[in-house]
Amino acid sequence: MSEEMRDQLASEYVLGLLEGDALAEAERFIDEDSSFATLVEDWRRRMVELDVTAALQPPATDLWDRIETSLGVAKTAPANPRRQRAPRSGVTSRLWNSLPAWRGVGLAASAAALVMAIGIGVLMRENARTPVMVAVLLSDQNQPAAIVNAFGDGRTELVPLTAITAPEGKSLQVWTLWDRARGPVSVGLMDAMHSLDLSVQNLPRTTTDQLFEVTLEPAGGSPTGRPTGPILMKGNASLAL
Amino acid sequence: MSSTLSHTALPDADLSRALQGCARGDRASLRSLYDRLAPRMVGVAMRMLRRRDLAEEVVHDTFVKIWEKAASYDPARGEAATWIFAILRHRALNVLRGEARTDLVDDFEPMGLTADEPDAEALVAALSESGALRRCLETLDPRRRDIIVLAYTHGLTHGELAGRLRIPLGTIKSWMRRSLLSLRECMA
Repeated sequence: MSEEMRDQLASEYVLGLLEGDALAEAERFIDEDSSFATLVEDWRRRMVELDVTAALQPPATDLWDRIETSLGVAKTAPANPRRQRAPRSGVTSRLWNSLPAWRGVGLAASAAALVMAIGIGVLMRENARTPVMVAVLLSDQNQPAAIVNAFGDGRTELVPLTAITAPEGKSLQVWTLWDRARGPVSVGLMDAMHSLDLSVQNLPRTTTDQLFEVTLEPAGGSPTGRPTGPILMKGNASLAL
Repeated sequence: MSSTLSHTALPDADLSRALQGCARGDRASLRSLYDRLAPRMVGVAMRMLRRRDLAEEVVHDTFVKIWEKAASYDPARGEAATWIFAILRHRALNVLRGEARTDLVDDFEPMGLTADEPDAEALVAALSESGALRRCLETLDPRRRDIIVLAYTHGLTHGELAGRLRIPLGTIKSWMRRSLLSLRECMA
């Protein structure tokens, strides 16, 4: 192949124009022929200026959490990494974010903390008392195992009806699915069933028939970012009357 | 090596250091790449895939890949940003050409011809005035320049370009070859 043809192949590869055999050939050359790899690198460097013209699109707030979940079992991440990151709005945000600090201030302050915590609870209830959508999650025995309530302000909570604790080395992971093309999205992680605000910030509002489920996953969450373990409970959302 | 992306506040030395951090297993390094690049990456993937959910999935996969492959990044062979965007584009093209093809067709056609020609022009206008790519693209005949820009930014194939611009496939292919050759000579 002439040098000009090799460069042609490299340029069409970088533009994404190759398909089938030509694509396979170019990929093989990149791996096996460092001078061809250099031609490809040169074209990438020439063209990447066009990538810089793309509009900035802020990613969904849970995208980083999903990436981190996919990196494998979290070694350093806290059991509920969302709490450290997912920003909440307004006054509750500042109070909420100070929760970890409360833990450190010792016994004397814990009573005050309790009062504040109750205050937040009242505030949240005041905000949106009645769920708009409700999903009853049934176990494989068809027994109600948990309820998901989605409120008018977007807040979505999971309320357990059955006590389940994950065995050693496992976690319980909550998923939702509203669009098969996107696939299930992780919205919560815990070691034992407890009331939990689900991480649905920036997901579309819960809709009728949207699926919620809890699966058993390796500790720290599914390594693939998709459910891998058995489904412990699942249910579809319905409009609350 | 010229710093192609320097005007976008992406000092390559920082990105390169962050990749070295990823290779050591430092998640904060990956996070710093995410904070600085993710919005642009979603933008690039959106141009190709047109759907936010697919674009974010591609960005997700790209960061997982960066984490896994960071040790194989060699600063001597190219800039860190180029390396990262190459992974992103590769993944986006796979989605575009493969698994989501049928899903995309419906969204794809109605946005068709009317929007595209000014789009290519606007894309060129958005390039840095001092950059070699803009200077060299501007030496090309507008329609021959547009096919390069549309192929790269929207991931269009020869066939799609032919269909949308109503130009015979053989003509598109030969224009593409000659335009790329001119571009290379200009940018060498």
